[in-house]
Amino acid sequence: MHSILVLFLFALFAIISARPSEPTIFNPDGTPKSSKRDVSLADLEGLTRNSRDRSGKAGDPPEKYFHESTFDAHYDGRFASTTLRRDERLMHLRSLVRSYLSTMQSIGAETWIMHGSLLGWWWNKRIMPWDSDIDVQVSEPALKYLASYYNMTVHTFKDAEAFGEEEGELIKEERKYLLEINPHYDNPSTDDYMNVIDARWIDTTTGLYIDITALRVNRTAPTHNGRRPSRSPPRTTSEPTRLYCKDMHQYLSNQIFPLRDTTFEGVPAKVPYAYQELLIEEYGGDSLVDTVFKKEYHFFDQGKQEWVPMTTKMVQKLMEEDRDAEAEILKEELSKMARQRGKKPSRKPKNEKDYKLTIDRNTDERT
Amino acid sequence: MSTPYERAHPHHRPLIDHIPDHNDLDVSDEEDAFYALDEGDYLLHPKWRAVITQTTNRVPRRLQRYFVIYFALFVIFCIGWGAYFGPQYAVYKQELRQMEEVPEASFGKNKRPEFGGMVQVKRLEEKWLPRGEGRLVVVGDVHGCIDEFRHLMRKVEFVEGRDHLILAGDIISKGPDSPGVVSYAAHLGASCVRGNHEDKVLLSLAETSTSPDPGPIESPALPAATDALPEESFSRGDFALRKLAKSFKKSQIAWLQSCPVILHVGKIGELHDVVVVHAGLVPDIALEDQDPFQVMNMRTVDLKTRTPSEGREGTPWEKLWNHVQKKKPAHERMTVIYGHDRKRGKNIQKHSMGLDSGCVSGGHLTAMVIEEGGKHHYVQVKCKGYVD
Repeated sequence: MHSILVLFLFALFAIISARPSEPTIFNPDGTPKSSKRDVSLADLEGLTRNSRDRSGKAGDPPEKYFHESTFDAHYDGRFASTTLRRDERLMHLRSLVRSYLSTMQSIGAETWIMHGSLLGWWWNKRIMPWDSDIDVQVSEPALKYLASYYNMTVHTFKDAEAFGEEEGELIKEERKYLLEINPHYDNPSTDDYMNVIDARWIDTTTGLYIDITALRVNRTAPTHNGRRPSRSPPRTTSEPTRLYCKDMHQYLSNQIFPLRDTTFEGVPAKVPYAYQELLIEEYGGDSLVDTVFKKEYHFFDQGKQEWVPMTTKMVQKLMEEDRDAEAEILKEELSKMARQRGKKPSRKPKNEKDYKLTIDRNTDERT
Repeated sequence: MSTPYERAHPHHRPLIDHIPDHNDLDVSDEEDAFYALDEGDYLLHPKWRAVITQTTNRVPRRLQRYFVIYFALFVIFCIGWGAYFGPQYAVYKQELRQMEEVPEASFGKNKRPEFGGMVQVKRLEEKWLPRGEGRLVVVGDVHGCIDEFRHLMRKVEFVEGRDHLILAGDIISKGPDSPGVVSYAAHLGASCVRGNHEDKVLLSLAETSTSPDPGPIESPALPAATDALPEESFSRGDFALRKLAKSFKKSQIAWLQSCPVILHVGKIGELHDVVVVHAGLVPDIALEDQDPFQVMNMRTVDLKTRTPSEGREGTPWEKLWNHVQKKKPAHERMTVIYGHDRKRGKNIQKHSMGLDSGCVSGGHLTAMVIEEGGKHHYVQVKCKGYVD
């Protein structure tokens, strides 16, 4: 199904700097890695249609490995030169996540969905229509595995094949996806804030990508009984281990593991063990019961089991309600102000109207 | 008539007459006025005081005492109501009101999460419904306590082929012999439901069988193969779990895998429609649409949204369940038999029977024995206690 076009770009590793670099927080060993710190447009010849590099590299600090495009943070500027139309984007995102999950499944790298994507999964096992990105995590061994054997590999994926014909919104043609690992992946420090993304799964046709972060074991945090965990793992306790990602998210191992097998966007996927607890922690209890998402003007249609955009009528009604609520608040505030004025009349009139009133009163007194 | 002195001194007044007349000094202590307070010294006008003494004198002393006691009690009651019972009553009323109505934004509107290797609902074969001599025996969290389990089966005089056994989840883990309990239950032809401990064991087994390939070739980038497993287990903090998972035979795993999250037993007389789950159910959601994680883990429900949770802050789910069932017509009522909540222990209500009486920690192992028509009683055996 997925013939893997393994295009190891040895060029990246071939050019090794003779000059040893100073140890920094971004490279704590200080060992020379490579003078070439990223894969530029020139290295991707044949894989991209871009003739101009639109990655935000020029504006990024040199330590930062992954660059977001100059035109939108959700695109890779080496592959795309423009954003997709909003109504088109969803189809491409769905295809992107299907390609990612299918490929990881077939090469045996443990990955699961998190954050916004997990919430989408919870509601109807799909990406929410207003989502602009996909959130996934991998385990530490899986990242090591990907970095060791799959860095800079190109994978082909045909959407229609994997998902059957009944869906109207499939990408018909075969696409190529690039798996790129951040060379800073073996630096576990959260101080390395420029490289919180450990790997990326990039759609070479649209430039859309999935950020991949590894869930790491916190080896410095004390356990519940106050002792620091030793490097050699204890064999008796079943106390949860503290885990974290470089993007500062923290979890307990018993919230994530053991993972559960399920489906997302029609392909096999994994979700964390205590999915509901994680969602409530991150988005609050209302995120699991509110069928109206005001911010994006969508509501959850229970018949269709899908998030659908509101009709103009509903939006109008919503806006009216908002307006009423706002008016109510305004009214309350005004009356509060009036009450305060009534209690102790201020000498200085606050605005023109008040000023006029004072003058009127004064003239009355004189006559 | 005159005294000789008067006669001798006709113009002389007796000395006593020189003393000014002080009548007020000459008050007898036998008169009421002697005890009277001076005017202006009292709060009440003497007239009113007289009225009061008159009336109180008419009330017996004992009654007066009672009045004081009752008054004190009344004051205590007022304080108690204001400080404690009032707020409690308000909470109770609020809870009742919330249980009465289904909130508009309520839990369970999403598409139900589905998981591989997990059966959501199974129907009990009709031949096992209690009829005649045949009974249905439901046992709470066994947790690997094989001796107590066998003892209990003897005590209820379980007859294979006539009676049917249902285990309400958490059959394994914690106790001394989990594989033994599974074998024995399978031998008795028992039905079961999936508890949170079965869930974890089965998931972690699925995980180890599909864990990442160590790679196509021997590589120095990866730690030595011998080191890999404990390391992986460390990152997940699940040594005990993996050890337990490894102790089962393939057939035992298959038996555990066949346990549904919800076992729909069917209608049994006065018990109405009977369902066995491990932890609980949210009312007004179809069995097929119940969130499987919560069915295996819930303890309480947030009444505002009816979102179930493992935590203890919130209303016990069975409270809401019983309230909702009471309002329903008899043919729609459903009785849930469950385990899971060791802290609350054996918890029998009209439409919910909690059977986890904490066997593994030294409590009891409880069986609910259901006879034809829904008549039922409970049988217990004392447990040794294997964990705290």
